[in-house]
Amino acid sequence: MHEVGIMESALLLMQRQAAAHQARRIDRVVLRIGTLAGVDPEALRFAFDVVTRATVAEGATLEIESVPAVAWCPACAREFGVENGFIFTCPGCNDLCGEIRRGRELELSRLEMS
Amino acid sequence: MCVECGCGKSIPFGVRVLSVIAPGLLKPKPPAAAAVTTVTPEPLSPLTVEVHASLLAKNDDAAARNRALFAQRKLLALNLVSSPGAGKTTLLSRTLDEFAPATGCAVVVGDLETDNDARRMHRPHVPVAQITTGTACHLDAEMVARGVAALDLQGTRVLFIENVGNLVCPASFDLGEAVRVVLLSATEGEDKPLKYPPIFKSAHLVLLTKIDVAAMLGFDCQAAVENIRRVAPQAQLIQLSARSGEGMAAWYDFLRTHLPPP
Repeated sequence: MHEVGIMESALLLMQRQAAAHQARRIDRVVLRIGTLAGVDPEALRFAFDVVTRATVAEGATLEIESVPAVAWCPACAREFGVENGFIFTCPGCNDLCGEIRRGRELELSRLEMS
Repeated sequence: MCVECGCGKSIPFGVRVLSVIAPGLLKPKPPAAAAVTTVTPEPLSPLTVEVHASLLAKNDDAAARNRALFAQRKLLALNLVSSPGAGKTTLLSRTLDEFAPATGCAVVVGDLETDNDARRMHRPHVPVAQITTGTACHLDAEMVARGVAALDLQGTRVLFIENVGNLVCPASFDLGEAVRVVLLSATEGEDKPLKYPPIFKSAHLVLLTKIDVAAMLGFDCQAAVENIRRVAPQAQLIQLSARSGEGMAAWYDFLRTHLPPP
């Protein structure tokens, strides 16, 4: 449960953006979260409600875009998507692959303010 | 269990349902139909900013500073993570007795409370710093920087960072280490790698520990190894017991192999 700490970092970024653009409030927050980021989206939503209370982001809509994992097979020299689960088997050669190209994202993507 | 989930801050449990105000509710009603042709309605969100900033940027910056310091000192830094009780401190204690006399070692150890681990690992030839995180469930790069700053690293070649016992949160926090070591002990379930994949996926080395008691406990080492291989094919794997000493030579070989050139 480190989602509150992560959301506090996110709030800091949001407050800086709101101040820089002289926004009165933040209406929508879009996060991009990789499926391998080790972060639970439901816990993030809970943390968002808690840490944004009485801030410029209170009441904003939180949108979480999930970034699916993409692995790399060195034998076939190809990337392949991983739909679900954490065992990455190359569809070309059936080898287990450990190199992750995408899926660890933990990013504040977009803000809508007014 | 920790400040990260809010409980340490005395936040009422029901807070989640108290304060949600839908953005549209406070807006004035739209103008009457007749006026629509002359009044431009206020756009809902006139300003959209593409930010694309990492939520862990602060930690990642501190981790980069740690990494630069370790490189400058030609240190091998390892981040040891596992469930509580998987044998991190026992492994390190034996390592400090057997390996550290020939190759300088230092330890930064994190726990929520007490300096028990630092006292267990204290040796005349080994600087040890204890970080108490209070309620935080993982070490972050800034805590490690403070711990390292408290140590005399003269002659140190290997820095062990013993993380808080937790298989979830430490996965997200880069400490600046060169090698991440994940321990799985024979007193746990063989399927732990399947249940906690992010941390195993981030491992350079997986240590299967307490193998001296595996048979007694009915722990299926082969099944555990297969699960580790499936979830973490990128990681090296060593089976050992810090009590019997079995496998410790392979661990020391791993450390020697990964030492940066002096």
